Amino acid sequence: MRPDVPAHPHAMQPSKPGSTRTAPPMRPAKFPAGGNYLRYMLFDATGIVYMLAGLVALGIVWQLGNGEAAWAAQMQRLSNPIYVLFHLVCLASVIFVGVRFFSLFPKAQPPRIGPAKPPPAVVFFVGLYGAWIGITALLVAVLAGGIF
Amino acid sequence: MSISIEKHKKTFVVTRFDPDKDEVPKTQTYEVPCQDDWKVLDALNFIKDEIDPTLSYRWSCRMEVCGSCGMSVNGEPKLTCKDPIKSYGDTIEVAPLANFPVVRDLVIEFDGFMEKFQSVKPWIIRAKEKAAEEGTYRQTPAELDEFKQFSMCINCMLCYAACPVVANEPEFLGPAAITLGHRYNSDSRDEGAAERNQVFRGEGTVFSCSYANECSEVCPKDVDPAAAVNQAKFNAVIDWATSLVLPRGSK
Repeated sequence: MRPDVPAHPHAMQPSKPGSTRTAPPMRPAKFPAGGNYLRYMLFDATGIVYMLAGLVALGIVWQLGNGEAAWAAQMQRLSNPIYVLFHLVCLASVIFVGVRFFSLFPKAQPPRIGPAKPPPAVVFFVGLYGAWIGITALLVAVLAGGIF
Repeated sequence: MSISIEKHKKTFVVTRFDPDKDEVPKTQTYEVPCQDDWKVLDALNFIKDEIDPTLSYRWSCRMEVCGSCGMSVNGEPKLTCKDPIKSYGDTIEVAPLANFPVVRDLVIEFDGFMEKFQSVKPWIIRAKEKAAEEGTYRQTPAELDEFKQFSMCINCMLCYAACPVVANEPEFLGPAAITLGHRYNSDSRDEGAAERNQVFRGEGTVFSCSYANECSEVCPKDVDPAAAVNQAKFNAVIDWATSLVLPRGSK
């Protein structure tokens, strides 16, 4: 097992120190890369991927305002394997976050929504995954020129 | 006829800390002849009774009710009276729960937990108590279902030891305290939700939770504190929005 790493020195400390000297609190032994923590850290790390994707999108919009030649050059750059790889990472991140979010979402519902109880988890799963697949299919159809 | 009990020797690496002598905790190794049906707590009791009476740890009921014997076993927060020896290999590391100051050996300081626990007012609050002759407060099975799961918490503090936010934010109320506050907010007999939601909306409360879900993974009683915390977030937002719209707030 890895050596102990201290937690915040005031973690779970009482507001007034006790009469006995205490050893400082340690972090959970498997944090951040062991057990389920890895999944949680990856989930949070996808925020970096989304930030980069946002910057790429801003760059594309910027080139759009610089005329047709700049736009064509930008489109050419996007076919670079590094961009393709980046977009595959983006796709993997979105799928990972979606699956994790969908698995946790049903139990975060309040006991009642207005006068009614929330539907069973299976209804949430079907609804969320159904909406995801439906919206993806719609976007693919738009991008492929099938609509508009 | 005699019954022969098979025993296997296992190595226990146990964290030791004497506040009068040690600057930092250290480990001590014990060879323990374990029975297959033992729990980790049985092995610690063997060490205490037969090998080293100076070893300090908390335990009481031995039946997963009192919540005293929570410790870190091979890096995972476990209720040691529930944790079977046979689920581990030949070496078992036992340490105090993570995220807590250590008083001695495997004994953690839980006054900080008790302060957080009390801050959510974990009792029934009524604007006006009913007179005894008016009878008891009645509740339907459906009303009981809304909070029963969250009332199963035994305050073993494993959820605090697993939570990455507790390790970083000392002011975070933490899973068990929020779960208990939410339990009373969801109780049809209670009228103190507005008071508790004020606590929930403060710094280091429900919105500090980043939904790592580790509290629910380690909970030995399947209370699902992550569900309670995230339901409490929803309720705190509704309560805040209501307080803006209605003339007398959400009271």
